[in-house]
Amino acid sequence: MNTLRSRRFIIMGLLPAMLIYALFVFVPVIWSAYYGFFNWSGIGASSFIGLDNYVEIVHDPIFWRALKNNFIFVGAAVLGQVPLALILAILLSKNNFLQRFLRSAIFLPMVLSTVVIGMIWQYIYHPQIGILNFFLDTLGLESWKLQWLSDGKIAIFALIPPLIWSFVGLYLIIFMSALQNIPGEIHDAAQLDGATGLRKLASISLPMIWGTVQVALVLCISGSLKSFDLVYIMTKGGPAHATELLATYMYNSTFTSYRYGFGSAISTTIVLISLILIGSSQWITSRKPKQ
Amino acid sequence: MNIMRTKKGLFWTLLTGYGIFTLYPFFWLVISAFKTNEDFYSHPFGLPEIWHFDNFSRAWESSKLGTAFMNSMIVSVGSLMITLFIAALASFVLARFQFRLKGWIMTFFVVGMLIPIHSTLVPLFILMKQMSMLNTYWALIFPYTAFALPTAIFVLTAYLSTIPKEIEEAAFIDGTGLWGLFRRIILPISTPALSTVTILSFLHSWNDFSFALVLINKTKLKTLPLGIANFADGYQTDYGLTLAAMTISVIPTILIYLIFQDQVMKGMTAGAVKG
Repeated sequence: MNTLRSRRFIIMGLLPAMLIYALFVFVPVIWSAYYGFFNWSGIGASSFIGLDNYVEIVHDPIFWRALKNNFIFVGAAVLGQVPLALILAILLSKNNFLQRFLRSAIFLPMVLSTVVIGMIWQYIYHPQIGILNFFLDTLGLESWKLQWLSDGKIAIFALIPPLIWSFVGLYLIIFMSALQNIPGEIHDAAQLDGATGLRKLASISLPMIWGTVQVALVLCISGSLKSFDLVYIMTKGGPAHATELLATYMYNSTFTSYRYGFGSAISTTIVLISLILIGSSQWITSRKPKQ
Repeated sequence: MNIMRTKKGLFWTLLTGYGIFTLYPFFWLVISAFKTNEDFYSHPFGLPEIWHFDNFSRAWESSKLGTAFMNSMIVSVGSLMITLFIAALASFVLARFQFRLKGWIMTFFVVGMLIPIHSTLVPLFILMKQMSMLNTYWALIFPYTAFALPTAIFVLTAYLSTIPKEIEEAAFIDGTGLWGLFRRIILPISTPALSTVTILSFLHSWNDFSFALVLINKTKLKTLPLGIANFADGYQTDYGLTLAAMTISVIPTILIYLIFQDQVMKGMTAGAVKG
């Protein structure tokens, strides 16, 4: 009697969450895998074309450009964001007013919408009215003034500072709480042994939080693959696909040319690529400490 | 001694420099929102010559920010309510009952978190179209709820498993049914975890751009981020106005951040790390 009632409660309790989750997260992914085999414009009949969409993706230079740009973002996050956040976490370890204030300031972009962040940086980079070029003028560095977002060669790199600016706070807080979890006795022992400064950092602090660094790296990789909003707002993937990412490539080829079958194939490709990348990054980082 | 002092000086210069770098874009946004175009060109760094408060009222009226504000409120609060209720219910079951498929169900939610959100945009668009949900509030409420669920369930399950079971057992002996137990005991004691979930999922849906971009194109239903982006396209030449609209749109999230700073930081890092 009692178990019957609790069994019914278990089912009733889990059902709504699982239904909504399955319907709006899993079903779309499975469906896009299915639609990826069709040529479909959204209205009318769809025709089965087998792997043609995937063949087209693999032969599309824009796809490879987008993939490369995604890797540039991953690289910037891993080599820029993580070290910067670590340095800041070490420098801002005290709890006085100024440091608390700086921590809050660095974290602030995390609560702003990407639309606002993207638009602010668009203004910063604007060739005529942008404060970056004004600033270079003031310093007398006219020759350094560039068409930050409309020059295909530098646009993708111009997107990196806003990206780091908006997420570094998250990693700062992650590292700070990891550093605080190092027991005080270890610091005392290090002090007795005469380890200070960089020495202490390299042989005590870093190894102690290595697990967290690994988590942060995996986060960086999956986070960089997810970037879409910022780039869509700032460049829409342009100029001439120079800042195309996998997600903007998918958006542009689906919703500007109404090719839902092709877009679904790209979506499926994105899922596969990110599962492979996350899987391998987890595998690599989890192997290291055992050696 | 001297080296120590230079070191300290260097350290403070670096920190202050970084602090200015990180706050400046935001500071620039707020002061420029008060400027006229001429002021904007001639004093890009300075404070406004005259503080044009009317930029804000003009932006509010000409951009229909009020409607966008309401829409954002409706979808954020709507999905928040559903998330809180069904996530609390599921977490209660997952934290307190033993059953065969439990491990599988947890894995089900973890695997979903690995799926990049943007890869669901195209299929969700097709799905919503076939369900005739495009251009309704539900087109946003359901996806926001679905993507908020895993973090919500992890935060709540973790919290509930730290609470001694005796509390519920006492209530159970008193003859309270399982639903009564959920409503009268579980919900009230999970308030700290529920408030973390509230802040996180509210910020997420309030700030979301990509779902709104794909699933909504009726002007009347556009949410704040979408409305701001469109407004900027239309009024590109009136900088003060655009910047004032942007400033208005970030006020709610900044307020939440100022009031619940610790919870926002802890919640976001916990949500990210568990994902």
